[in-house]
Amino acid sequence: MSLLFEKTKEVLRTLLPVVILVLLLCFTIVDVETDVLIRFLVGSVLLLIGLSVFLFGVDLSMHPIGEYMSQEVATSKTPIKIAILSFLLGFLITVAEPDLLILGHQIQDASGNTLKSTIIVYMVSIGVGVLILLGVFRLLRGKPSYNTFMAVIYGIIFILVFFVSEEFLAISFDASGATTGALTTPFVLAISLGLSNIKGGKNEEENSFGLVGVMSAGPILAVMLMSIISGQKNIHGDAGEYVYAEGVLGPIISKFPGILLESLIALLPITILFFFYNFIKFKIPKEELKGIIIGLLFTLLGLTVFLTAVNSGFMDMGRIIGIEIGKMSPWILIGTGFLMGLIVVLVEPAVHVLGEQIEEVTSGHIPISLIRSTLSIGVGTAIALSMVRIVIPAVKLWYFLIPGFLIAILLSFIADPVFVGIAYDAGGVASGPMTATFVLAFAQGAATIIETANVLVDGFGVIAMVAMSPVLSIMILGTIFRHKRVEYPTIAKKPAVTSHLIDEINLEHYCILVIVNRGFAEKVVDVARQSGAKGATIMRGRGTDENQKVMLPIINIELQPEKEIVWFITTTDVSAPIADSLLNDQQLEQDGEINVFISPTEAMVRTFSTIHASNDNE
Amino acid sequence: MAIIETLFFTVVDRGKANAVLHKAQECGAKGGTILLGEGTVQSKLLRKMGVTELHKEILVISASEELSNKLHDTLCEAFSFSKRNKGIAFTVPFKRWHKQTSGQEANTSNNSSYDDKITHYCIITVVDKGRGKECIKSAKAAGARGGTLIHARGAGIPTDFYFPLVIEPQKDVVMIITTKDKVSAIREKIFSDLDLGKAGHGILFTLPITRTSGLVENKSGECKEGTS
Repeated sequence: MSLLFEKTKEVLRTLLPVVILVLLLCFTIVDVETDVLIRFLVGSVLLLIGLSVFLFGVDLSMHPIGEYMSQEVATSKTPIKIAILSFLLGFLITVAEPDLLILGHQIQDASGNTLKSTIIVYMVSIGVGVLILLGVFRLLRGKPSYNTFMAVIYGIIFILVFFVSEEFLAISFDASGATTGALTTPFVLAISLGLSNIKGGKNEEENSFGLVGVMSAGPILAVMLMSIISGQKNIHGDAGEYVYAEGVLGPIISKFPGILLESLIALLPITILFFFYNFIKFKIPKEELKGIIIGLLFTLLGLTVFLTAVNSGFMDMGRIIGIEIGKMSPWILIGTGFLMGLIVVLVEPAVHVLGEQIEEVTSGHIPISLIRSTLSIGVGTAIALSMVRIVIPAVKLWYFLIPGFLIAILLSFIADPVFVGIAYDAGGVASGPMTATFVLAFAQGAATIIETANVLVDGFGVIAMVAMSPVLSIMILGTIFRHKRVEYPTIAKKPAVTSHLIDEINLEHYCILVIVNRGFAEKVVDVARQSGAKGATIMRGRGTDENQKVMLPIINIELQPEKEIVWFITTTDVSAPIADSLLNDQQLEQDGEINVFISPTEAMVRTFSTIHASNDNE
Repeated sequence: MAIIETLFFTVVDRGKANAVLHKAQECGAKGGTILLGEGTVQSKLLRKMGVTELHKEILVISASEELSNKLHDTLCEAFSFSKRNKGIAFTVPFKRWHKQTSGQEANTSNNSSYDDKITHYCIITVVDKGRGKECIKSAKAAGARGGTLIHARGAGIPTDFYFPLVIEPQKDVVMIITTKDKVSAIREKIFSDLDLGKAGHGILFTLPITRTSGLVENKSGECKEGTS
């Protein structure tokens, strides 16, 4: 019924498996203190509330803000303004990310104070800014194609890989996970969507995704370059002594204010930039502005509750499970890791946001459940392989990382274009706060017990793996998608005898409704314009026809093909020629599977017919 | 009387359209097209919380008149459209245009029988993105109970930005179902409130509806949209 309830239901569905898994482990093989268990349960409830409210707030605030900002970027008249604005967007959202600051401190400690945390934060933010800038220019120009663009970026990364140590390889990929936090990912997704909406055209769908993927390459490049320039190769030190929180409610309450402040700082730059532009340019109507402000408050509140829950309720639990299972056989550890990755990723906030955007953009053509399962399998495998790495020190991180990305890049040239963007985004989307706390704590717990493992290095590696594997798994899905079968059972086209039930009424206008396959709407408008139509309105939809079945190979899932619906309002004298010319167009008939419907549009046109005619050019 | 082709529209909660479509295919419908839309919110509490839209799906099925009547009966029963907020369905007479037919050939149908059947009208307004809510608001002021909003885009107009973008202006399409007697009041209210008289401000047109289900008529005779 209500949107908030809908979100809660959705979150509950993804959270429940996690709670069940943890409880199952607690009551069977893992011995956990009651306090920690109760705190985990309280944390779960808080997480449910926090994440629902957060997602609800993101819908209300980040979406419109992203849309307005991207409109401002795209409709600039000079390249310099586009450059400055898009760089600023990337820079500002990253510099305020709390995870990045934590990472900065970790690197500072690890490098023995040669790299200052503030420099790291600024360098990474500049990296993100530059890449968002490049990504925006690429999107608006429409070339080079996205897969080539990403191949070049990762090509540069691969070259740099030879110059950095394994530790910094892990850290740099981890930095990309840290920057694509709970707040930045939805915002960048919204920007991407907004830009592609404005640009429109045939590649609109493809362009709606991919900016997160571009952005997550920024930190990787920045950290690698810093490591090379500073000559820093090895990581010193070890992770600090881990202190478990005591009590049930104490840790939750004590963490709340700090996280509230962090969330506020993370949210502030976007908000200020938006209100600045609203003041000088947008001047959004009050009611809409009110909605955005309420949305921002919800976002802040939800994010705080969510992060508090994860940090206080889930982290200790993850670590204890890691330690306990690490004592047992490696196989159980690997198996548990797989299961954990499988279900935990679905609780990530950004995964929900991405799913929603996929539904919105493809009008439900790409089943979200399919994307989610693919993500799950990808992340599950990533965690399992990370466990392998902890158990067997000889297995290096780059054994997985480099081939993984290499295959993903190769596949990006044969995969369905929409999926290429989604796949690169998925890396940033999957490595969110849940991975950074719960899963990471689990891995570190296991690493402390197994003597050969290095807590710091292995910890960093986990996130790098989580950032890589979904890219690969979704890219594989996209390759399968590309080869979907379209079945057209042959049907005898019989000329149906239909009557005009509408002609007699003395009307001056007709409404022509045309349904075609996606991508043909522009063609329809062109043809109709030649026959005298003035303007048109285009909607996106999906449809089924018993004469046309789209099937995915291997997994055998039926899809509903995407359609575009074009509305014309025309005067009576041109409606018939337009309909005829549309049906006579070879391309539209064969590839577009055109359907044309006509109905009188009544009365209004009588009353305002003269004015109306001039307004037709919508 | 000759076969009349119609378009059968249903508006249901998001996610339910597939189920409806399957049911419709059991009844003999060939296929359908599903659009994503947004419904209006009736609850004041939700509106206060900033919720101004509910996710809906709009299913359009091309059907003969006979079939669309059958669809009304079956779907109403299967998805209990008669209850509030479960969904609505309506039929708009449309002619499927075939290559063989041309405007002059088929002037056979009986005008008066068709006119009698019209019970409701569907007012469709196309305005710039963001003004759809405004449109629903003024329609409500004139007595409409709600509306369904669909995001769409207009055909391209070249512009002079740095990138040679063919901007396809984003549009809101608002569908409002209303009874015959109210249609002109609502129409004129929208027209004047949104200043549609000016060029480029939007267009408005109405489609006749021959049958509806799921619209709850309340005491004052107002037409309740199932989109609450």
